[in-house]
Amino acid sequence: MKMFFTVLICKLLRFAGKLIGKGSSFPGQVALKLCPDILSRVTLPEYIIAVTGSNGKTSTVEMIAHILSESGKSVAWNREGSNQIEGVTTLVLSNATLSGKVKRDILLIESDERFARYTFKYIKPTHYVITNLYRDQLTRNGHPEWVFDALKDSIHPETKLILNADDPLVSCFGADRDDVIYFGADRLSTDTDELVSVYNDGAYCPVCKSPMTYTTHHYNHIGHYACSSCGYHRRDTAYTITAVDLKKGEMEIDGKYKVSLALKSLYNIYNILAAYTVARVVGTDGAKIASVMSDYVMKNGRVITFTIGERRGTLLTSKHENSISYDQSLRVACACEQGCDVMIIVDAISRKYFTSDVSWLWDIDFEMLGSDNIHEIVLAGKYVNSLAVRFSYTDIPREKIKLFESIEEAADYLQNGGKEYIYAITCFSDKGKLLARVKEDQQ
Amino acid sequence: MKLLHWYYDIMNLYGEYGNVRALERILQKSGENVTVERRTLGDKLTLSDYDFIYIGSGTERNQKVVLNDLRNYREQLGDAIKSGKVMLMTGNSFETLGKAITDAQGEKHEGLGLYDFTVTEQNRSRETADAVFEADFLSSPLVGFINKCSEIQGIAKPMFSVKLGLGNEKGSRGEGMRDGNLFMTHLTGPVLISNPHFLVYLASLILGREPESGYLEYEKKGYDVCVTELMKSEEK
Repeated sequence: MKMFFTVLICKLLRFAGKLIGKGSSFPGQVALKLCPDILSRVTLPEYIIAVTGSNGKTSTVEMIAHILSESGKSVAWNREGSNQIEGVTTLVLSNATLSGKVKRDILLIESDERFARYTFKYIKPTHYVITNLYRDQLTRNGHPEWVFDALKDSIHPETKLILNADDPLVSCFGADRDDVIYFGADRLSTDTDELVSVYNDGAYCPVCKSPMTYTTHHYNHIGHYACSSCGYHRRDTAYTITAVDLKKGEMEIDGKYKVSLALKSLYNIYNILAAYTVARVVGTDGAKIASVMSDYVMKNGRVITFTIGERRGTLLTSKHENSISYDQSLRVACACEQGCDVMIIVDAISRKYFTSDVSWLWDIDFEMLGSDNIHEIVLAGKYVNSLAVRFSYTDIPREKIKLFESIEEAADYLQNGGKEYIYAITCFSDKGKLLARVKEDQQ
Repeated sequence: MKLLHWYYDIMNLYGEYGNVRALERILQKSGENVTVERRTLGDKLTLSDYDFIYIGSGTERNQKVVLNDLRNYREQLGDAIKSGKVMLMTGNSFETLGKAITDAQGEKHEGLGLYDFTVTEQNRSRETADAVFEADFLSSPLVGFINKCSEIQGIAKPMFSVKLGLGNEKGSRGEGMRDGNLFMTHLTGPVLISNPHFLVYLASLILGREPESGYLEYEKKGYDVCVTELMKSEEK
């Protein structure tokens, strides 16, 4: 009876919440109060797929859901990205019958990396995808090794791990386990021999702390690495990006499946590969995945094309306090052959908590904006002075840079001057302030 | 002048290199010829060659690796402190100078023993906070961020008084430690970028005269914004 009522109340709250546009974690929060072990009482589907990591969780989960739905599977997933235990509880219970049975083929869970140990205390994933561990929101997360330790506690011995082989720290989860599925990229045309990054989180072996060497870098410290001392090295992959042509916008998986890319970034190809890997493991045909993913435009609103005045532009939602996320967005702008202006907004560092720490700006490789195709750089927001200081430590000429404390004034400036394409790079916490001033394309 | 960024590739939680860049620039603007040497584990160094030494913050595991390397420098470090060399250690790097660090598994790592304090780490909750500190040698407060999982016991005379953020141990309103020209604080990241007045103060100690500071316009504005925001958040 307790379960019946808990499920019912959760469903009702969810229904009411949707009507008034409330978030999806509250119903789960109430359910957990009523019945703290509700998640262990429900009957779950055969496949429980969890996805975690610093970057790409939401996109990867959306892609997996898209592929599996298109191949005729029913999927329950947290599309709003409420990824702590309350949101996951809402997800499970709103997809359950009143007798507590989740009638879907697959339960797909995006999980916050720090809280995974609480979420997966009751739910045992059959498959667990870990995308990457980067310097991300260190004001809450400490550092990647701290997150690694917290995540390690959330992994059940029976769960099959699906790991990014190219991330040296993530691959460590596979040590001492023999049934791990690794995904990753072969040496790609976009690779570099030398590290391109402000810092090197692959300098030392995560196992023994001796120096590591790389035969190739895909981006930052993601690549093919080997420890000079203990023998720890990048593992062979079961599912692989075998080629990529970002100019043409095409990737090749496992030497035979071509996917044409709606978003031409390395990030995107990793997310697609992770989704491909999961779909293959669940039994979807490779050709089917490639056709479903080709030109797939994400629905999560992180990449938005727009018009401001006479000018066209793209908003690349990035994460403040996450330098690799910024580096990836900057690379997209730098690859723009016809030339462009770049706008960067740092106004509220987080929408969820307060901090005024801008140390992360120093980890972003802004130097790359010195390339000739970048015409003007517009810096805006409350922390514009900190941005200005950071840029003063690059070789970018001061005349290329415009500073605005007010986002309004920065938008006026863009609207009234120049013809170049605009790449606007900022975070969830600040993107609304720009979007209020532009006309978004219909998706 | 020679500046040493020691353990640059392993003690860098985020943006710590900004501290050395900031000093390099202010000394250059003040007319000095400056070279920065980036050195790490296993390098053989003569500390007396340098006019300034910096070590940044690292992960708990990296700090233990560095602690082992630092054992080779116990005597040299002691001499450097006695000679009044200007040194800055941020984050958990200065924990290595105490008697011992007990890690989250309960293992005790003997420290260099240059100071009497002891350190205890835990792995349950990350202690992070924006910080506002006051010091008797600075006319306005220091701003920054704390990111740690340790407490330091036995610092009788801390360097800062905590207005916002975390002290050396739970309940303590004192943070960091100063011994002559060695400055030790748990603040992480580019402290000298965020605090131009602290930068000027350190530069004046290194130079023995007032440095050029007229160019620090955006640094000062950025500092003002940060102080204002932190005070607003504290009132809430």
